[in-house]
Amino acid sequence: MKKVFFFAVFTAVITNVSTIAADLSILPEKISLNGPEARQHFLVLEKDGEEFSGEVPAQSLSVKDEAVATIENGVVVPKGNGVTTLIARTEKGEVSVPIEVNGFDAKFTWSFRHHVLPVISKEGCNAGACHGALAGKGGFRLSLRGYDPPKDFYTIARETGGRRIESADPARSLLITKPTMATPHKGGKRMDPRSRDYRILAEWITAGAKAPSEEDVVVDRIEVLPEISNLKPGDKQKILVTAFYDDGSTQDATQWAKFTSADETVATVDDDGNVEVIGYGVGSITAWFSSKVKLARIVSPFPNQIPDEVYTQAEKQSFIDELVLQQLQSLNLKPSRRTTDNEFVRRAFLDTIGMVPSSEEVTKFLADKDPKKRDKLIDHLLTREEFTDYWAYRWSDVFLVNGGLLRPDAVKSYYEWVRTSVEKNTPWDQMAREIITAKGGSIENGATNFYAVHQDPETMAENVSQAFLGLSLACAKCHDHPLEKWTNDQYYAFANLFSRVRGKGWGGDTRNGDGIRTLYVEPRGDLIQPRTGKPQIPAPLDGDPIDPDSTEDRREALAVWLTSPDNTFFSRAVTNRVWAAYFGIGLVNEVDDLRASNPASNEPLLEALAAYLVENEFDLKALMKLILQSETYQRSSEVSSENRDDPRFFSRHYPRRHMAEVLHDAIAEVSDVPSVFTKLKLNDGSTQDTKFYEEGTRALELYDSAVESYFLKTFGRNERDIVCECERSNQPSMIQVLHLANGSTLNEKLQKKDGIVDQLLKKNGADFSALVDAAYLRTLSRNPTKKEKDGFIAMIGKAPEEERHEAVEDLFWALMTSREFLFQH
Amino acid sequence: MFDFLAEGNGPLCGKKRSRREFLQVGALGPIGLSLPQYLAAKQAGKVQEGNDEKSCIMIFNLGGPSHIDLWDMKPDAAQEIRGPFKPIRTNSPEIDISEILPMHAKVADKFALVRSCHHGGAAVHDAGWQIMQTGRRFTGGVETPHIGAVANYLTNPRNDLPPFVVLPEFMGRGGGNLPNGQGGGFLGKAYDPFALMADPSKKDFKVPDLLPPDQIGATRLERRRNMRDLVEGTVKDFEASEDARLMDENFHSAFRLMTSEKARSAFDLSKEPKKVRERYGMNRVGQCMLLARRLIENGVRFVTVNTFLTVFNELSWDIHGSKPFISVTQMKELVAPMYDQAYSALLEDLFDRGMLDNVMVAGLSEFGRTPKVNPAGGRDHWPQCFTVSFAGGGVKGGQVVGKSDPIGGFPAERPVDPGDIVATIFKGLGFNHEDHLPGPAGRPYPLVDFGNEPIHELFG
Repeated sequence: MKKVFFFAVFTAVITNVSTIAADLSILPEKISLNGPEARQHFLVLEKDGEEFSGEVPAQSLSVKDEAVATIENGVVVPKGNGVTTLIARTEKGEVSVPIEVNGFDAKFTWSFRHHVLPVISKEGCNAGACHGALAGKGGFRLSLRGYDPPKDFYTIARETGGRRIESADPARSLLITKPTMATPHKGGKRMDPRSRDYRILAEWITAGAKAPSEEDVVVDRIEVLPEISNLKPGDKQKILVTAFYDDGSTQDATQWAKFTSADETVATVDDDGNVEVIGYGVGSITAWFSSKVKLARIVSPFPNQIPDEVYTQAEKQSFIDELVLQQLQSLNLKPSRRTTDNEFVRRAFLDTIGMVPSSEEVTKFLADKDPKKRDKLIDHLLTREEFTDYWAYRWSDVFLVNGGLLRPDAVKSYYEWVRTSVEKNTPWDQMAREIITAKGGSIENGATNFYAVHQDPETMAENVSQAFLGLSLACAKCHDHPLEKWTNDQYYAFANLFSRVRGKGWGGDTRNGDGIRTLYVEPRGDLIQPRTGKPQIPAPLDGDPIDPDSTEDRREALAVWLTSPDNTFFSRAVTNRVWAAYFGIGLVNEVDDLRASNPASNEPLLEALAAYLVENEFDLKALMKLILQSETYQRSSEVSSENRDDPRFFSRHYPRRHMAEVLHDAIAEVSDVPSVFTKLKLNDGSTQDTKFYEEGTRALELYDSAVESYFLKTFGRNERDIVCECERSNQPSMIQVLHLANGSTLNEKLQKKDGIVDQLLKKNGADFSALVDAAYLRTLSRNPTKKEKDGFIAMIGKAPEEERHEAVEDLFWALMTSREFLFQH
Repeated sequence: MFDFLAEGNGPLCGKKRSRREFLQVGALGPIGLSLPQYLAAKQAGKVQEGNDEKSCIMIFNLGGPSHIDLWDMKPDAAQEIRGPFKPIRTNSPEIDISEILPMHAKVADKFALVRSCHHGGAAVHDAGWQIMQTGRRFTGGVETPHIGAVANYLTNPRNDLPPFVVLPEFMGRGGGNLPNGQGGGFLGKAYDPFALMADPSKKDFKVPDLLPPDQIGATRLERRRNMRDLVEGTVKDFEASEDARLMDENFHSAFRLMTSEKARSAFDLSKEPKKVRERYGMNRVGQCMLLARRLIENGVRFVTVNTFLTVFNELSWDIHGSKPFISVTQMKELVAPMYDQAYSALLEDLFDRGMLDNVMVAGLSEFGRTPKVNPAGGRDHWPQCFTVSFAGGGVKGGQVVGKSDPIGGFPAERPVDPGDIVATIFKGLGFNHEDHLPGPAGRPYPLVDFGNEPIHELFG
C-alpha cells in the first residue's frame, strides 16, 4: 500500500510543480519524546504540493514552553512532561509542530544493545578496517558493525579480566580512554569527551555495565524522512532516521545511522546524513541501523523545458509506457521517436531469437499493410525454435552448464532439461521448483546437476540465492551483511535447508568419474552455525522457520517459500533479468545485485512488471510479449539534446554491442558459412574432442561454455564459472577489432567458395546497384542511402574484374564491421 | 573562461611539471568540467607531460601469496605458524628470504620489500584486486581507475603502441561478484588497457590477428577503411553511447597498431635470443615478464602482468590446501620456482640494460595468507598483513620497509595501506599524487585519498 502512495506522491508533484506556491513544513510532523534521554532531530522543509523540495534556513527556532522542551544544537531535548509547540521562523514564513514529552521522570538506563552498540558502530570502532575485522585489531575484536551483541558485551566487559571497563572509576575504562586518546590509540581520536556518545558509554559503565538480554526489545524496522525529495544540483538536505521497536516504541536513530549513496554522480551524503545533490537523475541514500536498511530517494530533474503534451499525447500500450513516461516527465527527459519498421524488425529479431532477419523476412514485414503487423511479428518470433535456443543458452549461463565443471553426458542432460523447459514454456516458478527439489540420477533428471556443480550446503544456498533472487549472500557467511538486511544467522538458517542433500558418486572434483550421480536426501543431519557451534533452525531467509526435527526434505519448504507469489524477491529477480535482456540494462543494475540498497531506476515499474508476471503465473513469454509490444521498447535510439544524458530511464534505446554468440551467428548467417565446433577446452588448459555439434550448429545452440572458440572468448561470452551475469562482457576492445580486421572468422567466411560473395556475384553479375542493395538488406536490414550506394558502386566498379570478388568481400567487411552491424540499436 | 590548465610549477623528482588546477572547479558550479572538454584540451596538446621516460611493470600475483612462506618468514614462531620452509640469506644483509625463492636471493640488492601492507577490504579476491590496483574500494557506484589507466589519461601515448597493456589476459572473476579494478573506471573505457589474450609461451605465439592476412595488402586495407567510413557516416546516434564511441576509437587504434613496424617488433618474442627466453622460464609467467620488458623498451608506459588468470580451477597462489587448491608445501613444486625464475630474470635484465632506474617493478597481490597453517595444510585469505615488493623507478633495493608482528598477523611498524602503495607507483611514474582527475559529475578527484603518501623511505 505504501508503495502505491509513494508513487502517487511522485506523480502528483510533477504536474503541479510550477503552479503551487511554496509552502513550509517541519518533519517529523509530530515530535514525541519518551523518557529523559529521548532526542529528536527535525527538518524545516519547503514543500511543493505533496513533495519536499529542500531545507529552508530558519531565522529562529523556539519552543513555546521551555519547561517542556528546548532546542540544543538543532535537536529537541525534553525538560519535563507536557505538551508544547516547536516554532520555526524563516524568510518564507512561520511553521510549527506539536511536541509531547512523556515519562520524563521515569528511571532510565542506557541499553547495551540499543545505545552502546550503536555508538560503537557509529564511531566506526567495529568497522571492517578496525576492531570489526575478522581478527580484530590490537587484540580487541568486535563483531562487524555489532551483529553479535552478547559476544561484543563479553569482549568489552569480561574479556582480559574486565580491564576494558572500570566500574569503580568509569572515566578510566579503556572503552572510553582509547577512543578519546586519553590513552594512546592507533585508531586515533574517535570521540569527544564532551559528546553525548561519550556520556552514553560512561553512564552505561557507571550504571553497572548491564549485559544485553534476550528480553531486550528488537528493532522491527526503520523509516527515513523525507522518503522522497525533489531537489536540484547544489541543494543540501539532511535525512532523518527513526527506529521502530517490537514493543511499539520508537527512537530517533539519526545520529547513529550509517549513510551511503547508491549513485554518487547524483547525490553524495556525509556521515551525519547530510545530502548534497551534485547531478541530475534519481539518487538513493541508504540508511542502515542495526541491520535494518531503508532508502531515501532524491529526484533531481534535468534542466530541460518539455511541454506536458509530449507526455500526455504519447502513445501508450500498457502500464510500462505509462510508468516510464511518468518518470520521464518528472525528470524532464524527452522520449525519442518510435522506431521505423526497418529498425524495429531488426531489433526484434536480434533480441527475441538472437538472429539477423533474412532479406526475405525484412521485405515481407515492410510490405505488410496490417496496422497490427508489429504484434504479429512479435507473436511469430516468440514461437520460433531459435527463441528456444536463445533462452536455453541464457538460462544455461545462470545454471552453469559448463563442461569444465561436469562430464559430457551430465552437461548434455543438464542442457536438455533447460532446453525442454524453455521449449514447453515451463513457468519460471516450476523451473525453480524442479531445480531446488531435484532428486535422482544425473542423466535421467538433468536438473540434479545443479547440485553437482554446487556441492556443499553453503555453496548451494549462495547459488540458489544468486540464481533465483539475484542476491549475493556470501558476505553474511562470516558476519551480518554490511549495509544489507541479511544476518549471519539467516545465512546459516538458509544454508541448513541444504544440509541433508547428498550425492552418490560425487565428491571432490566435479569432473571425476563418468558424471553419473544419484542425488538423494538424508532424513537427518544439520549444518553447524560456527558462531554458536549449534545448528541454526532452518528457515528460508526471512521466511518462517521449519521444524528441525522433521525428516521431510527441507528443500520442499524452501521451494514453497521461494516461488510464493508473496516473495517479491523471486518475481523481481527474474523480471529484471528479462528486462535487461531486452534493454541491455536492468531496471536494477546489475541483475545479480538486487540488494535493498540498490533500488530500481523505476521502482513502480519493476513492481508492476513483477506483479504482472505473478498474475500470469510466471509465464515468461507473456512478460516478454508485453515488453516487446511496449512503446518504450519500440522507441528509437535517436538522441536529442533533451535525453542525451539519460543513463537508465528509457527515454531512448541504448545501443549496445551484441553478445558474443549473437554476433558470431550473425556473421555466419550473413556470410552463409557456418562455423564448426569440435573441441572442448578444459580448465587445466587441455583440449578434448567433442562430437556433440554437427556442422551448421550456431553458437547459440552450444550446450557448453567449454566449447573452444577464440571468437566467443574474445567477444566476452559467459564462461560459467560462477553464477553471475557479470562473467559476460559486451564491451568492445581492440583485440576484437583486430580479430574482425585480420582474424579468420570474418575474412575466411567472406572468402569462402559458394559463400555469400560468390552467390551475389553469380546472381547480379555486373549490376552493382542490385548487388549493393542486396548486401545492405542482408547485413543491415535496410537499403543504402544514395550516398552510400553511389560510393560503393564507384569503388567496386574501379576494381578490375579479376579483383571484383575481393572488392565485394571488402564491401561486406565494411558493412559487417560497422557499428550498425555490431551493435543492437 | 575558467582556466583549468593553468601552469603551476612544483618540484618533483628534480623535475618541473604542470599542476592541473582542477581544484578550482568549484567555480564552475556543481556539474563542472565535463570529460569531453578535458579531452579536447588534452588533444590540443595543452596538457603537459609528466616525466615521460618513466614506466611501470605491475606484477599482480593472483590468489594472494603467503608472505610468511616467501618474503616475511617467521623461523622463531611455532610450527603451525612458521610452516615447512626455512629462510636463507641473500646478497642484501637486510633481507632474508624463503628457501623456495633461491634466485631472489641473488637479486635482493635490487628490490625492496614492504612487510607491513594491509587493507580493510573483505577477504575475497576481487575486493583485494580492486583495492590494490586502484587504491580504493569502490563505493557509491563509483569505480576508481587502475593506476595504468590514470597514467594513460594524464599523458600522451609515446607512439603507436597501446600505452597500457595487460599480459596475458584480464583477470577473471573472483567469486565476490565485484569489479576487478583493471580498467579506466570513471575516466571511461577509452583508458582501459589492451589485453593480449594469448599465451606468449606457446610455440606459435603472436599477437592474435595483429597482421592482415597475406591477401589483404595496403590497397585493400585502404579500400576497407574508405568503405567502412562510408557506412559509419550514416547512423549518428551512436555517439551518445560510450561503448559505441569506444568501438570506433578501437578501430582507429587497431589500424595504427597493425600498420606499425615498431609494434610488430615489440610483440615479437622470437627476436629474443633463446638464452634470454630460457632465463625467464619457458612458461606463461616467464614469457609474459620478458614480453613486458620488450614492450616497455618499445614505448609502452604501463604493463600489468597477471601471474595467474583466476583462482578457479587454476593453479595459483591461492593455497587453501583443500582440493582443488594446492597446499603450502606444494608451492615449491611449480608456483614458487616459476615466479622465482621470472622475477629474478626481469630485474637482472632491466638492470643489465640500464632500464631499471626508469622502470618501476611493483609486485602486488590482493592479500597475504593466515598466520596459522590450516588443517588441510594450506593457508587462507589474510588482508590484515602481507608483503609487497618494489624495484626500480628510483627505489633503493636491498631494504625492508615496515615490519609485521611475530606471527605475520598484523603490521608492527610502519603500516602501509593500498593508497600508499598506489601513491608510491605514481611517484615512480613521475606523477604528483596530489594531482586531481575530473571525477564523476566533474568533481575533482584526487589521485589518491587525502592522507595517502608515497612510501618515501623506498626512494634512496
